[in-house]
Amino acid sequence: MNIHINGKAYSLSNEIHISVSSALTLHFIEPQQSTFAVALNGDFVGKEEYDTTLVKNGDSLDVLLPIQGG
Amino acid sequence: MMTLNIYGQQLDSRLLIGSALYPSPHVMKQAILASGSQVVTLSLKRQNPSEKSGQQIWRYLQEVIAEVHGHLLPNTAGCKTAKEAVTLAKMSREIFQTDWIKLEVIGDDYNLQPDPIELLNATEQLINDGFKVLPYCTDDLVLCQRLYDLGCQVIMPWASPIGTGKGLMNPYNLETIRLRLPDATLILDAGIGKPSDACLAMEMGYDGVLLNSAVALADNPVLMAKAFGQALQAGEQGYVAGIMEQRQTAHPSTPTLDTPFWHQNS
Repeated sequence: MNIHINGKAYSLSNEIHISVSSALTLHFIEPQQSTFAVALNGDFVGKEEYDTTLVKNGDSLDVLLPIQGG
Repeated sequence: MMTLNIYGQQLDSRLLIGSALYPSPHVMKQAILASGSQVVTLSLKRQNPSEKSGQQIWRYLQEVIAEVHGHLLPNTAGCKTAKEAVTLAKMSREIFQTDWIKLEVIGDDYNLQPDPIELLNATEQLINDGFKVLPYCTDDLVLCQRLYDLGCQVIMPWASPIGTGKGLMNPYNLETIRLRLPDATLILDAGIGKPSDACLAMEMGYDGVLLNSAVALADNPVLMAKAFGQALQAGEQGYVAGIMEQRQTAHPSTPTLDTPFWHQNS
């Protein structure tokens, strides 16, 4: 299946879906030590839902961190 | 002086300040401290959590907020629809552990003008979800009234488009909003260019001012931050003291009776 994380494409050959937790570890190192929040296809996914929310073919994950703002 | 009331939270400073565009994180920190502000805005963007730069900025902001005993005010900058803004607000709430949200829903890329329809839609959803919404909006009285009716205790009309520094484009509109919404906490947001702009807003009876570029882009941001803090105090005190009515004709300040040489040549 093919998914996008922060706009970058990833191809996974054997899975039909994976959890948000697994998707995060595809690309991110030790995300549990960072301050971030996640949206799946434009909808917020709370941290308590990372293990149970499934990412499927064509899905898009956004991982956001704090920055300066006005 | 009276305190600034943001959803029941009483703050000594009436200045809300942004954390962007400073020459360096150090200058940002010094400027925020010099301003006396107790509310600092910030945002979210796509980043890899394992990259250290984003985490460093976040830790630095946390230090600043702790030092001023202040509050974080996350924004929804960059959102163009209610759905985007609601999602970003929820992400911000999880990260920053606050139900305050500076709600921005932009309807036009040229002047970054808020979209009133999407703004109202997002406001209703967020208030129903327990957020305390601080909407960034235009200086349209009816829009401000609608936001207030939805439950926004704080409303933030623009002075002029974001980052322009043009000051108060429509003083009449802003005065009318103040007059018609006497119980709302009104914060002038965006377009402030110089301390006298902030002072003018306070003289109108506004409760506070939110700005970023005017301080961050000054030649000396720390000094400018201090100037804004003082300008707000001056404007507030002027408003509380009661500004004299304008008059159509001149009136001598010095008593004319028994003025030396008065009518001597007539």
